[in-house]
Amino acid sequence: MKSELELRGVEQRFHARGVAAGHITAVDDVSFTLAAEPPQVVSLVGQSGSGKSTIARNVLGLQKPTAGSVLYGGKDIFKLSRSEYDEYRRDVQPVFQDPYAIFNPFYRVDRVLWKAVKKFGLTTSRSKGLQLIEESLRAVRLEPENVLGRYPHQLSGGQRQRIMLARVHMLRPSFIIADEPVSMLDAQVRKHFLDILLDFQREHGMTTLFITHDLSTVYYLGGEVMVITKGKIVERGPVSTVMHEPSHPYTKLLLDSIPQPDPDNRWTNRITVDELEDQEADAKAAAPAPETPII
Amino acid sequence: MRILTAVLRTIRNSPKLAIGLAILLVMVLVAIFSPLIVKGIGGSTDPLELAAYERWLVPGPDHLLGTDQFGRDVLAMVVSALSVSLQIGAIAGLISTVVGVIVAFVAGYKGGWIDGVLSTFTGILLVIPTFPLLIALSAYAKNVSLFQVGVMISIFSWPFAAKTIRAQVLSLRSRPYVDLARVSKARDLEIIATELLPNLLPFIGVGFASSALGAIFGLVGLEVIGLGPGGVIDLGQIIFNAINTGALTLGAWPMFVVPIVLLTLLFAALNMVNIGLEEVYNPRLRGVAGE
Ligand SMILES: Nc1ncnc2c1ncn2[C@@H]1O[C@H](COP(=O)(O)OP(=O)(O)OP(=O)(O)O)[C@@H](O)[C@H]1O
Ligand SMILES: [Mg+2]
Repeated sequence: MKSELELRGVEQRFHARGVAAGHITAVDDVSFTLAAEPPQVVSLVGQSGSGKSTIARNVLGLQKPTAGSVLYGGKDIFKLSRSEYDEYRRDVQPVFQDPYAIFNPFYRVDRVLWKAVKKFGLTTSRSKGLQLIEESLRAVRLEPENVLGRYPHQLSGGQRQRIMLARVHMLRPSFIIADEPVSMLDAQVRKHFLDILLDFQREHGMTTLFITHDLSTVYYLGGEVMVITKGKIVERGPVSTVMHEPSHPYTKLLLDSIPQPDPDNRWTNRITVDELEDQEADAKAAAPAPETPII
Repeated sequence: MRILTAVLRTIRNSPKLAIGLAILLVMVLVAIFSPLIVKGIGGSTDPLELAAYERWLVPGPDHLLGTDQFGRDVLAMVVSALSVSLQIGAIAGLISTVVGVIVAFVAGYKGGWIDGVLSTFTGILLVIPTFPLLIALSAYAKNVSLFQVGVMISIFSWPFAAKTIRAQVLSLRSRPYVDLARVSKARDLEIIATELLPNLLPFIGVGFASSALGAIFGLVGLEVIGLGPGGVIDLGQIIFNAINTGALTLGAWPMFVVPIVLLTLLFAALNMVNIGLEEVYNPRLRGVAGE
């Protein structure tokens, strides 16, 4: 079953000292829709502190927004029934920023993969589980014997981040919420990672919300882009349009602040015009007004 | 297994920790075997019985540390008092740690108003001067058992454990691996037990050691000023006896000195364990705090 993930007037406030209002608004009336069908990549760009990670946490159900709602298949994710919740959990999965902190240093890296097998009931047989794990590791171009049985500190950042991708590969969610997954990787490993993400989109029909502050990765991924500043989404549209004809002053600023944004010469081997045009057709985000009164 | 190797590795990396643990181990062994040791000292008579021997014997081959005002063998008394002190420390330390850990986890992990209420409560207990309260309590506790003494003291020592551990829970709670566990459908209790607890073990150890130490010395403090609860003879009680009877002027110095040496050793050992653990788990302190 393919569902939609929708944010409707999401607002997230945090208590803060030393601010006149007594709180800051990290996410301010944000609405957008991610469609599973057809699979797409939607990037969310903005500078540090603009509220990107908070949105990711809202979408993942890790943080309940102070107003507005996150809907999965039309239902509020914080009011799902048991079986709907299970489905939502399986269908919306993260890749986080820091490949070092994502593993509990106390355990071997295999554990996160086995947890996925067991918690989501992929199989009850141990040999079948191992087979699944190895298959998914190969899908992200890792040799199982090089990573299984190791502790996190014995692996490189790129290897660890790919283990997280292997986890996603095992679960086959419709939505990947990737919060700056490549910001701590070097350029070559970064490209590798993005290619796997694009493969997932093509081969397994996964839609990715790709959060980043780096415009070159946005160019590379293509698809749609949303620009966020101070908790508000100020511009959205196909990557090529937004990058070449930015309408909001902040987007212009963002474009000016990167050294030589030359989309046609950077990493050109994967982006073709066709691909971009295909993706342009999708996902026109709706933006209804917030329904829940602000507390 | 993993815990064991981690512990061994930790000990090997820190001489302070190793020495502290070794001293503690010896003391605990003496405490465990204290009934046997006491028997060995007394032979056919019970060396702790009133008038078992002559009064105020000076140290000699028969009584290595002499005898006290009631004719009891001081060495035997010290050995069994050490055991009592350690038991009180263990009981109070255990209760404090368990209560402290539970409060810390509920407060730190749940956050919000629950954290507010619990932290305020803990904070109030922390600033209340506990010693006068203990004195007041002990006035009502004339003939209490060892276990009751331990419980009484732990009432005042758990907030220390809670405070340290809560700070750690707060820092661990927002780790990405906790988020990953949550999106993998792990429940709160499961996350606490499998993601947080293993990483907190050293701090729980420190919490236990500090509150045990606090309990033992709190009791000694009460006893030295003559306000100890009756009924248990720990190291503090022997020191109080020695002061009260003027043992030093009678040549019975071991009655005063030996318990103090033992308490000092215990203090040093527990603190070495604390500092050792902190150094291992907080590398910024390494070389600054010691060496
Ligand atoms: N749990 C929290 N409590 C209080 N304030 C928070 C909390 N989480 C985020 N904030 C605040 O909300 C704002 C947005 O933070 P967020 O982490 O979403 O930014 P970001 O766009 O992801 O930044 P970065 O690129 O640095 O990761 C910041 O001002 C931050 O200080
Ligand atoms: Mg962020």
